[in-house]
Amino acid sequence: MVFFSLILLPFVLLLLYFIVRPRPVIIPIKNRHVFITGGSSGIGLALAHRAASEGARVSLLARSLKNLEEAKQSIRHSSGADVSIFSADVRYYDAVQKAVNDAGPIDILVINQGVFVPQELEKQGLDEVKFMLDVNLMGSFNVIKAALPLMKQRMDGLPASITLISSQAGQVGIYGYTAYSASKFGLRGLAEALQQEVIVDNIHVSVVFPPDTDTPGFKQENEVRPELTKILAASSGSMRADEVANKALVGIQSGSFIVPCNLEGHMLAMATAGLSPQRYFLMAFIEVILGGLLRLVALIFQWNWYRCIEQWHANNKGEFAIKELSISTPGPVYVCFIGPSSVLGRIEWSRI
Amino acid sequence: MLIFIVLAPFLLLLLYFIVQPQPVNIPIKGRHVFITGGSSGIGLALAHKAISEGARVSLLARSLSKLEEAKKSLHLAYGVDVGIFTADVRDYDAVKRAVVDAGPIDVLVVNHGIFVPQALEKQDLDEVKLMIDVNLMGSFNVIKAALPLMKVRKDNRPASIALMSSQAGQVGIYGYSAYSASKFGLRGLAEALQQELISDNIHISVIYPPDTETPGLEEERKIRPEMTNMIAGSGSVLKAEDVAKKTLDGIKSASFSISFKMEGQMLAIATAGASPQRSFFTAFLELLFSPLSRLITLLFLSNIYRSISKSHAN
Repeated sequence: MVFFSLILLPFVLLLLYFIVRPRPVIIPIKNRHVFITGGSSGIGLALAHRAASEGARVSLLARSLKNLEEAKQSIRHSSGADVSIFSADVRYYDAVQKAVNDAGPIDILVINQGVFVPQELEKQGLDEVKFMLDVNLMGSFNVIKAALPLMKQRMDGLPASITLISSQAGQVGIYGYTAYSASKFGLRGLAEALQQEVIVDNIHVSVVFPPDTDTPGFKQENEVRPELTKILAASSGSMRADEVANKALVGIQSGSFIVPCNLEGHMLAMATAGLSPQRYFLMAFIEVILGGLLRLVALIFQWNWYRCIEQWHANNKGEFAIKELSISTPGPVYVCFIGPSSVLGRIEWSRI
Repeated sequence: MLIFIVLAPFLLLLLYFIVQPQPVNIPIKGRHVFITGGSSGIGLALAHKAISEGARVSLLARSLSKLEEAKKSLHLAYGVDVGIFTADVRDYDAVKRAVVDAGPIDVLVVNHGIFVPQALEKQDLDEVKLMIDVNLMGSFNVIKAALPLMKVRKDNRPASIALMSSQAGQVGIYGYSAYSASKFGLRGLAEALQQELISDNIHISVIYPPDTETPGLEEERKIRPEMTNMIAGSGSVLKAEDVAKKTLDGIKSASFSISFKMEGQMLAIATAGASPQRSFFTAFLELLFSPLSRLITLLFLSNIYRSISKSHAN
């Protein structure tokens, strides 16, 4: 029986080798035009540094001219490269279109702008919800729509990329992230459909899923994060912006549809592979083999999270306790899983 | 194989203890079911089913005349009166008024939705905005309006918030960038919301119907891009009452994901991702069939991309 399964595996591998679509692709960065929204700080700026140092021509789009000019200077300092800067709010299509036209035809479009305000939906203002949906989701549609026509008409015959910076909160919804997760999950639906629409134009869609990343945006977010969100999000550790940028660029250049950034990210990516395309037959093989195991891991994470939530409420509110069917928890304090990345992580921020 | 047969009972036992949140039964009889987009299509079919099971039903929609027709047809069928409320889900204040007038809700069915399929390159941004505003932001408005009273319900029994998604909320298909974006978004909302509301005994369900015979589908079919039809047009089309029945059953068992037919089950297993699963047996099936379902998925995608390039070559 075991023998039978082992015989089967090479056939599965062979099958996958022949069937995986879209095919693998290499997207060169050097001497090409990389356009980054939300490019004046955080992950966007780190991506700009990296792309510039690899010989790309970089354009940055953001709201604040002042931040853009600082970014421009810092890139000139570190790699001697000159980047173009454009100021626009992604919620306003006309401004975005003007910036995109001024920048010139784009080879690699990195849609990285994003706002995140974590809050229980019960407490959150609807204007904050709308803000996140408008900037993170609708704003991305605006940018793509503005850039697509010229991207489709490129002369050079080389593959192009539309890359969306999502978040691990775009792979699993967590306490406090109803609006943010909604906007980031939305990006994936957009990406899966868009890839089918633009593949014939040799444009390749990538979605990057960073964990908590050390950026000015994150510092702001951390100040208002609900306690429970902090506890649950700690399961995946955090990364530096330049680390995320490196992983992102490698993913973009290989035209990978899903680009995870750390170990937990890879596991999450495999668990949530869903109906995303996979160009690399070996990766596809691993997804098939490990899929079941990773679903189990995901279920264990959910078990842990829900126990944490229950424990937290019991400690903090002292009233409603969900009827327990399983083994009793030891002690009053329930320790939530901490993944290897956060143990090895270099970012220190205070946890409860 | 032998190893697996030995392993299976242990796996089942493990799953029995770890599935979260715990299984729960949500009674419908004598409770208040509030359905947005309730004047036609799946919403109306749900109203029929809920009333036949003894629930008190309220309908929210934009058109007063459609609501009145719905009210009449329901009265004719069951001799029961439903509450009708007009509001556009994009208008929070109107939604709030309706929800307050309707009274505390036990089962909130967020079912309204708009779909305009088109390749993004050709689609007007107003249409994109419409879908995101109605399908996604509108759902936030409805939930936010209903939540306060749901949280302070007197009766202690489990309550439900059910979100009507679509198979397009499990996989993005050519022509559906905006629609899929809005429906995928509902899932992110749902996964997070369940963690926030579990301690209030409120249970989230997300429903993933395939094409369903509704006035909405007729409208959509007229403008569907050819490529979309080629890829997605061959799936089954369900009757609204069948969707309503399975939906209500799923809501009553507080299933987080509700799917339809074999293809729906396969899609659900393939896209289970990190979503919660209350039924340890379904969890077991998810594990068991995950490899096969990813393989089938890859075959399906391979087909799609081949069709696209073949069609482009012509």
